[in-house]
Amino acid sequence: MISFDKVNKFYGDFQVLKDINLTINKGEVVVVIGPSGSGKSTLLRCINHLEKITDGTLNVNGLSVADKKTDINKLRRNIGMVFQHFYLYPHKTVLENIMLAPRKVLGQSEKEAKELAMYYLDKVGISDKADAFPSQLSGGQQQRVAIARGLVMKPEIMLFDEPTSALDPEMIGEVLDVMKALAKEGMTMVVVTHEMGFAKEVADRIVFMDEGQILEEAVPAEFYENPREERARMFLSRILNH
Amino acid sequence: MLDFSILTDYMDVFLEGFKITIIASFIALICSFILGTLIAVMRIAPFKPLNWIGTVYVEFIRNIPVLVIVFFTYLAFDFGGMTAGIIGLTVYTAAFIAEAIRAGIMSVPRGQMEAARSSGLTYGQAMKSVILPQAIKIVIPPLGNQFINLVKNSSLLAVVAGGDLMYQGDLISASTFSTFDTYIFVGLFYLILTIPLSFGVGFLEKRLARSN
Ligand SMILES: Nc1ncnc2c1ncn2[C@@H]1O[C@H](COP(=O)(O)OP(=O)(O)OP(=O)(O)O)[C@@H](O)[C@H]1O
Ligand SMILES: [Mg+2]
Repeated sequence: MISFDKVNKFYGDFQVLKDINLTINKGEVVVVIGPSGSGKSTLLRCINHLEKITDGTLNVNGLSVADKKTDINKLRRNIGMVFQHFYLYPHKTVLENIMLAPRKVLGQSEKEAKELAMYYLDKVGISDKADAFPSQLSGGQQQRVAIARGLVMKPEIMLFDEPTSALDPEMIGEVLDVMKALAKEGMTMVVVTHEMGFAKEVADRIVFMDEGQILEEAVPAEFYENPREERARMFLSRILNH
Repeated sequence: MLDFSILTDYMDVFLEGFKITIIASFIALICSFILGTLIAVMRIAPFKPLNWIGTVYVEFIRNIPVLVIVFFTYLAFDFGGMTAGIIGLTVYTAAFIAEAIRAGIMSVPRGQMEAARSSGLTYGQAMKSVILPQAIKIVIPPLGNQFINLVKNSSLLAVVAGGDLMYQGDLISASTFSTFDTYIFVGLFYLILTIPLSFGVGFLEKRLARSN
């Protein structure tokens, strides 16, 4: 479903991604971890072409992302993305936030889009906030709206870039619960997060990155109990003892 | 002591000029807003040739005196003074409005565009539905100031016989020989327009500041 083959990415002279080889199958949940600046966000953002790869091949849903002939907007419809800072549209209500893409991109009618939006708002547990503006919601609620905004396009892949890092501790759980439910329904997910509980419970694989490289890939139990790489071990001891 | 008989005798002439100044400023405002938005979007579009066109326009037009532009539109086309003046003012003001709008667009966090694009919206759709509605809040105060400048700059219509307030003032002073008094009245008429506008802009600025 997603496959990186010898992918490199440079910003000028600086190499952010180094020889990335990674395959993610349908229904898999992959958690990406690694120190700050190791290229996790960049890896994720290449998948929906928010960043361009410099060379190598990256196939998503059978389409080559770097190919000029690929319709990027079409590719993106099938990939939901959730950001650390939510990026809800502040001038639109919760409902309008969720309805925008279905209306504009899929051409759904007002009624159809609204019903679907309400369905997903209900799913993330905040249908009572449909008419509120994002600024009136807590961080956890905003992030759940952002997830609903991604889901309403019925994507085959969901990308999460540190979805709980900007949240107060007491709100992390509500967002992780929504994500866990999604994982259990069989959604293909790539999640950058340091939440070990989440990773252990639903991840099929952990990908550990450092300095633009994938240093280790392992199932969560193995990775957290007994990482092969010295740098992974150091990284884990740092996040566990902070 | 001011000679008020100039004002009363020539009231209809003053009012005719006043009307044309308002109409010309208003039309030029609408047109330069549309043109300015287009140029602003061109300057930031993810397509180099468009960026260049936008940049050249802004740098070129901003650095020519508006008087020269108005002369040029008057001499280059056979439109008559008022239309040529409006076109000249539009071309000139659009460059400043484009810069104000561009600054507004740039102040919207980059993540807004990324969120919109990653849900499948095209660049144009994201601009229209997500970025511009947020940018406009930031742009309204500088836009108001541009409008005030536009009203004042519309006095340049006089040099191409555009029929505006300044032009009518020229005619009145030529027939009354009371140059000084006439232009004081002309100035007062401009103030009637610009002072309320200035207060309006200040009010909007405060309101927008509070809503954030
Ligand atoms: N637009 C850019 N231009 C130049 N360098 C960039 C750009 N974006 C990111 N980088 C650099 O690329 C490297 C990887 O960035 P990236 O955001 O992918 O890291 P990350 O693993 O997500 O880090 P974090 O945990 O802090 O989010 C960093 O060193 C960063 O400074
Ligand atoms: Mg990151």
